[in-house]
Amino acid sequence: MTQILKCENLTKIYKSKTEVRAVDNISFSIEESEIVGLLGPNGAGKTTTIKLLCRLINPTSGRIWINETDIIKNSCFAFKKISNVLEGNRNIYWRLTVKENLTFFAGLMGYSYKNCKKRIDELIYTFGLKEKTNTEARFLSRGTQQKLAIACALIKNTDILLLDEPTLGLDVESTYEIQNLLKDEIMSKRRTILLSSHNMKVIENVCKRAIVINNGKIIADEKIETLKEFFRVNAYKFEIEGRIDNQVKEGFQKISLSTKYTENSSKTEIIIELKDFMVIYRLLEVLKDSNAKLLSITKIEPDFEDIYLKLIRK
Amino acid sequence: MRNKWNLFKAIFIKRLKIVLRYPLNLFSAIITIYLVFLAIFLGSKYIIGNQPTTFANTVEGLIVGFFIWTYAIGGYSTLSWGLMEEAETGTLEQLYMSPFGFGSISLFIVISDLIINVIWTVPFLFIMMITTGKFLHIDLLTIIPLLILSLASVYGIGFIMGGLGLVYKRIQSLFQILQFVFVGFIAAPADKIFAFKFLPLSLGTKLIRDNMTRGISILNMSFNDISILIVIALFYFFLGFYIFKLCEKIAKDKGLLGHY
Repeated sequence: MTQILKCENLTKIYKSKTEVRAVDNISFSIEESEIVGLLGPNGAGKTTTIKLLCRLINPTSGRIWINETDIIKNSCFAFKKISNVLEGNRNIYWRLTVKENLTFFAGLMGYSYKNCKKRIDELIYTFGLKEKTNTEARFLSRGTQQKLAIACALIKNTDILLLDEPTLGLDVESTYEIQNLLKDEIMSKRRTILLSSHNMKVIENVCKRAIVINNGKIIADEKIETLKEFFRVNAYKFEIEGRIDNQVKEGFQKISLSTKYTENSSKTEIIIELKDFMVIYRLLEVLKDSNAKLLSITKIEPDFEDIYLKLIRK
Repeated sequence: MRNKWNLFKAIFIKRLKIVLRYPLNLFSAIITIYLVFLAIFLGSKYIIGNQPTTFANTVEGLIVGFFIWTYAIGGYSTLSWGLMEEAETGTLEQLYMSPFGFGSISLFIVISDLIINVIWTVPFLFIMMITTGKFLHIDLLTIIPLLILSLASVYGIGFIMGGLGLVYKRIQSLFQILQFVFVGFIAAPADKIFAFKFLPLSLGTKLIRDNMTRGISILNMSFNDISILIVIALFYFFLGFYIFKLCEKIAKDKGLLGHY
């Protein structure tokens, strides 16, 4: 695979009364057709990183290459290769209709309406904007405006797409819809995408790799599956009929690494973390000795949100 | 080249659609300016009404001055208020991401506006002439180049204000004050005080007035005056663009380009 986007020792320092290192000496590369998630808490440096890559902010130091061309020296090359959506539903003209917005953004790349009419119609159809084709953007719902902002970035037909919080402030349904649109677009056009989001589900469902950033530094850069594997624990959920007695509680506490109980009159849920799988047989013996009726045992898969929180709090 | 033409078409059509989408807004702007013109015209008539020659000269000057002022305000607003609005809505960053560069984009914005502003400034010129009963000489071959050269300095100031707006954000009151400073530039007697020829708009207004009131063609105008007008136009336009680029660099260093 070819590296399409690469940055090395990228740093952005804002100097006012105090010195703020918004992005602190980060290096990473993205391969062609790769979809990478950019994660981090508020103020971690995600938006600054994206704007540095778009050349909308000048770096204090460091270098950025697209296809081996240094874009710090040659911004116009970057603008031929990158399109972006910054801050959700901004970036579109509220007084232009859906179709007029798409036509204008195609024009910004030098495409005539005649040449990109087919693509405009295709995007209008794919993004479910057909009924709103001639509606001014200001009259659209927030979710539809965000879909339009993404469509306007896609009409530019660039190799790289940088998306900063494309699902910000959206309800579950709209988030799901945008997530699927992105997946379809990735599959059909094989674009390279860097996607920043607070929504772990979006990152988990759309991206193959995640870069976690905190205080301007990269704290993890791995495939999502690798991160999950790394943070995988032997955790199980036991469901037991009725309430459990102290003998069971003490037995479980002695054997497991950690134990969490949720009790109600009909059943008790116990979530336990084990050193290794074989310990589970000793837990079953404890239950048998106290005549507790076991309803089910379920293995708990690592949640990406938990992994993210563990990384941030490290 | 063909791609640049497509870029120009996209910018021109977008701006035209936005102007024509709100005809009531356009109409109310013309009415407001017309009422200001009417107040000044009737006020002058009342004050110097008993001196017909002086009044006739004043009205001719008033029409020409108002015509240039309305055109200047249109052009200036595009770059000052216009760029601020683009920054607020987040579209300025998208304009910056055009591979043609912001220089080409802003040049096309300026050209589009010069053409689009004809929609309201030319009818307004005729409304002023009908109201006053004073019909001026209209020689497009002289007026158009002189107007473009005069407005180049206004666009330069617009660029400076747009650039300052990118860095300092809340400077709308300065924008408003400058609109009235233009009245001073237009009224400055460039024919009497040589130094005034170097002010934005002043010499251009004098030459356009010479054409519209006395019918002097551009070919019969003083070579020195035309040369000074060209130098002044280029000086203010490129100075404005240079200062804009400096402000843009500061905004990019401080991460302020899309802030609102």
